[in-house]
Amino acid sequence: MAEALLPTERRRLVSLLSPAYLWLLVAVFLPLSAMLFFSFLTGLPQDDPDWGVTLANYGKFFQNPTYPALLWKSLKLGLWVTGFCILIGYPCALVLAKSIKGRAREALFLMVILPFWSNSLVRIFSWAIVLRGNGVLERTLNFLLPFDVRLNLMFTREAVVIGLVHSYLPYVILTSYLALQAIDDDLIDAARSMGASKLTILRRLLLPLSLPGLLAGAVLVFVPVVGSFMEPRILGGRLGTYYGTVIEDQFVAVYNWPLGAALSFILLAVVLLILALTSPVLKRART
Amino acid sequence: MRRNFLGLLGKAWLALILVFLYAPILVMAAMSFNASPFYQLPFEFSGAWYQDMMANEQIFTAAARSVLIAAATTVLATAFGTSASIALFRYDFRGKRILQVLLFPPIAIPWLITGTAMLIFFFTIGIGRGTPAVLIGHVALALPYVIVTVSARLSSFDITLEEAARSMGASSWTVLRRVTLPWIAPGIVAGGLFAFAVSFDQFVVSYFLSKPGDTTLPVLIYTSIRKGFTPEINAVSTIIIVLSMAVMFLAARYSRFGGER
Amino acid sequence: MKNGILLISFLALGTAGACADEIRVLNWQGYGTDLKWSVEAFEEATGHTVVHEYFNSEQEMLTKLRTNPGAYDVVMINAIFNGQAVDEDLIAAIDTSKLENYAGIPQTFAADPKLVHDGSVYGVPWTWGLTSFAYNTQSYDKAPTSIEALWDSERKGRIAIRDDAVEAVQFGALASGQDINDIQDLDAVREKLAALMPLLRTFWSSENDWNQFMAAGELDIATFWSGSASRSAAQGLPVEFVVPEEGAIGWLDSLTIPSSSEHKEAAAQFIDWMIDPEFYVKWNAEGAPASANAEAAAALPEDAFNRKVLGDPAVAARIQFQDPISDEDRARYLELWQGLKAAQ
Repeated sequence: MAEALLPTERRRLVSLLSPAYLWLLVAVFLPLSAMLFFSFLTGLPQDDPDWGVTLANYGKFFQNPTYPALLWKSLKLGLWVTGFCILIGYPCALVLAKSIKGRAREALFLMVILPFWSNSLVRIFSWAIVLRGNGVLERTLNFLLPFDVRLNLMFTREAVVIGLVHSYLPYVILTSYLALQAIDDDLIDAARSMGASKLTILRRLLLPLSLPGLLAGAVLVFVPVVGSFMEPRILGGRLGTYYGTVIEDQFVAVYNWPLGAALSFILLAVVLLILALTSPVLKRART
Repeated sequence: MRRNFLGLLGKAWLALILVFLYAPILVMAAMSFNASPFYQLPFEFSGAWYQDMMANEQIFTAAARSVLIAAATTVLATAFGTSASIALFRYDFRGKRILQVLLFPPIAIPWLITGTAMLIFFFTIGIGRGTPAVLIGHVALALPYVIVTVSARLSSFDITLEEAARSMGASSWTVLRRVTLPWIAPGIVAGGLFAFAVSFDQFVVSYFLSKPGDTTLPVLIYTSIRKGFTPEINAVSTIIIVLSMAVMFLAARYSRFGGER
Repeated sequence: MKNGILLISFLALGTAGACADEIRVLNWQGYGTDLKWSVEAFEEATGHTVVHEYFNSEQEMLTKLRTNPGAYDVVMINAIFNGQAVDEDLIAAIDTSKLENYAGIPQTFAADPKLVHDGSVYGVPWTWGLTSFAYNTQSYDKAPTSIEALWDSERKGRIAIRDDAVEAVQFGALASGQDINDIQDLDAVREKLAALMPLLRTFWSSENDWNQFMAAGELDIATFWSGSASRSAAQGLPVEFVVPEEGAIGWLDSLTIPSSSEHKEAAAQFIDWMIDPEFYVKWNAEGAPASANAEAAAALPEDAFNRKVLGDPAVAARIQFQDPISDEDRARYLELWQGLKAAQ
């Protein structure tokens, strides 16, 4: 398949690809290239006539220890959230794909994604009502349990993780489900008839075959979580300062697009680097 | 016996996760019936927020506009994204890796920055503001999600199936329609659901690119937090969730997109 | 005589009908201009229709103005950003002789150098207020009178301030006895704020947050805006606003007309409506910041906060009004603030 494509195939390839990528080009890539350009400027051309080219915005990342520290904090947050999403979501997908049948499965499939359709801000504020002191969670627990419970979850790192896991869990569940459901049941039956234990089937058959789906989900969680700022700010309170929040500040609190853009592209570069470094490892794990 | 136990455990786990997923949604709905404008507990029943909402034309038109934009985004992003995924899966060509990597910038870079960039760029090239501009932005942000999701499904597709069908004389259109698409249908549905969610929650792009007066629901919500929003927002969110639930269950009743084999 | 009045009102109606414009207002959501009863009355009186758009930060407001020429007719701009908007040619000079209610605005506001450039008025003073703090009346026996109440370690975990670099730094300046517009000792500010950080429950970022935290009983005391405090009190929260001995930060909001507006006359009519004492008294009943129109303030009931407290000369003497802040200072403040937050 790697040989040069025939002209008819080439035409087909172009006609299949171009709507999506032309759209992305006009609406995302060109605007972002403008931002990339801004990130190398001393000031914006529209309001600073003596603008010049500089690396200083990128230099600031390395001079001010706050930025690398926060990026590290955000990456750790991304790992935690992705980890939880996988641990919680993959078994869910497994149950959904392999032990529930018929209409019920379709209904459940939809139910998993439905919460996703509500406004994220309203959802976060609802979490705040659940988690805060004397909130819904504490009241429920105190009603159910004989002893007094004080959780004090609001404005902690745990609260941020809970809110983010809730927001991103459907990605992992659905993409894993799509891959798991594609695995032929006969294959599993055959393995079982040969005496493979459940764990072996999971480890040697289901997990490797569904890995692409699981990974797609993990990437869809990890990548945006590293740059998130809304959930940390509202649920994390005093501890809710992350890399995304300092980027946001450069646009909202001060008018420093060059620095904000530089910080965003550093984020992008680091995320892509991580994906590039992990993909060969994961590929090897698959075979 | 052991098998049943595991199956039961699995179902219990699924139920637990559904409780987790729906807890804040239920709280959101409950608060729309709570008398306190500050979401105070204990709960005190009141239908006043629904009455307020009924009288608030702005919320209604904004919600309707959001649904329309999200629906249009879903259709466009799903169609274009699916065709791109098929191309990326079926053909090997130079630059394929780059095209795949290019899907990440719109996901990784915070929407605020992408939205600002779009605003500046659209202003410069003369697309200007308005619903078309909003739609262009939404589709672009939804596309990567669709492509990643559909590709994940495609990766388990056996390409020899296509070849077998073709060798039996089926045209490539027939192959696509009768073999490939049915196989990836669940992926397309999931991608479409993600696209809808992305658009329906998208605030920054709409905020920068819509014309004055043409607000969408997320914009209305985000701009009202500084001065305080009321449980009217909960009321309208609850209605939307209930309606989408009804639509989804009808869809589940009359179609088979879960990928039953 | 009677005929004359009829004739005049007929003429007024005729002209209003002849040039019924759609005016677009850019403001914070829920901040006076978009009150339903007022907009409806204005539309009825003038024939114009009013459409609103909102911003979420001052920087976004400026971005919107820059990139949408002709889209807005009235923009609410904090006076400290007025000069920048004039420098960038975003807003136009306003002919105040056309504003009937302008006469009620005292010289202190009308001649404010932040709004008057080269002898022309670029912003009509609309409202003003204070950034200070408010406390939960149920958790204090005696009203706090010093800004040090925020540094009360007894109330650790029940204190909040806003997540805003400039505001935080200016609070630090007040607490360390400095001029908020000329901070000499930034290290003292950093130290003061560093001592505050561990006492905080959270940062609030919107009025909505603030009300919810206060209503849920999570906070005893938190920084707040005077107008918002009266709104919260009007909605039944047990809170009271304090202007401490050390002083408070004062701000002035102005209404402006973008230079690219195509409905400048209708915009001026709307601004005139907004500074009308009659409108203000009604708005104040729902909770409003102080009016920049002295006649409006005088029309308030005697016990109204905006008259009783903010009208008190002793209080007025403690207010430090914000001056424009240079981009460099803004960046410095932000860096200081982010450093403190990241260390948590």
